[in-house]
Amino acid sequence: MSDMVSETQTEQPVEGEEELVTPVYVYGLVRVGTQIPDDLPGLGPSGRVSVIEHGDIAAIVSDIPLDRPLGTRNDLLAHEAVVDTVAANEAVVPMRFPAVTAEEAVVEELLAPNEEHFLAVLDDLEGRVQYTLKGRYVEDAVLGEVLQRNTEIRALQDKISELPEDASYYDRVRLGELVVKVLEQQREEDGAQILDRLEPFAVSVVANEPGQPEDVVNAAFLVQRDRLREFDDAVENLGQDLDGRIRLRLLGPLAPYDFVPPE
Amino acid sequence: MTVSTQRGGGGGVVERGGGAGGGGLADVVELILDKGLVIDVFVRVSLVGIEILTIDARVVVASVDTFLRFAEATNRADLYSKGAKPKDLGELAQSITEGGAKGKTSGALDAAVDKFGELLSSRREDREEAPRRRPRPRERDE
Repeated sequence: MSDMVSETQTEQPVEGEEELVTPVYVYGLVRVGTQIPDDLPGLGPSGRVSVIEHGDIAAIVSDIPLDRPLGTRNDLLAHEAVVDTVAANEAVVPMRFPAVTAEEAVVEELLAPNEEHFLAVLDDLEGRVQYTLKGRYVEDAVLGEVLQRNTEIRALQDKISELPEDASYYDRVRLGELVVKVLEQQREEDGAQILDRLEPFAVSVVANEPGQPEDVVNAAFLVQRDRLREFDDAVENLGQDLDGRIRLRLLGPLAPYDFVPPE
Repeated sequence: MTVSTQRGGGGGVVERGGGAGGGGLADVVELILDKGLVIDVFVRVSLVGIEILTIDARVVVASVDTFLRFAEATNRADLYSKGAKPKDLGELAQSITEGGAKGKTSGALDAAVDKFGELLSSRREDREEAPRRRPRPRERDE
């Protein structure tokens, strides 16, 4: 827990040197000509979003608040809303939050030197969109299974039930630990099955590490827009097969966060 | 708010959400703080004298609290199997999933909430009483 809210108040710029710098927020990159809805909610005081173009590439940008630090809940939601709204219909390379730079740098340092690279990335994303699938065990259903199959856990449970609460602390920790271990083994199998069922409908899949012991799967799918219907049906069918045991959540359409090449 | 257009967001067993402001904060944080393009030019924000809150979205690893929570849940599950009358099954599944989903929010966001400080102070109260038991199903997120 070291890096707490570090209020990176930077030193004042040297007198007369950088006073004219205008900061801009960069949400993502698109091809010139991409439809950017007028009503996108920017995180700056103007509330508006615009584009800065260079050659065939454009950055979606806005002003930023100067009277408070950046990073509030609304800032995060605005960033997401802007890129995901664009992504619903067209290819966009989303930036990682927070992407702030000087206005001149957008062309000089971001777009101009990397134009070819960004266009190649956008080409790969053309006609594709991300969906993220999260699956989580229905707790009581799966705990019932765990109990049925594991005698060690049942024995421990019996022991705990005979002890006063104070005296059973370590046994309860141990019991929980065993249950978590079993769940984590179980999800290897269940998670793999879920991915197997959906992989045929996606161009590419990224399986992220599930966060909590009861999470089964957390995977990003890059789906061809003209196959969205099939993908969606496959997810729904899978959800029905798993119903009562694993609960699925499908997020999207999303900007292709998980498919942005590193660097 | 884009919920799957194909299904109009209803009817199926799969919960839909996310996309253009429709996701919860936890989902958003996971996406935009961990992923997406990073370019050197953004790292030098100090150049423009902007103050930025560092937000840490680390996934919380299993801890003693997690174990105790599962021990408690397991004992509760056993009560059901011994014949204590469960609530209507549909309702039960639903309340559990909700509880589950919110639990996730609390876990993954613990760290982040810390960092957000008073900017998210409304989310703080339930955090303080969270450690031992499952967070109550309501009043999280959104």
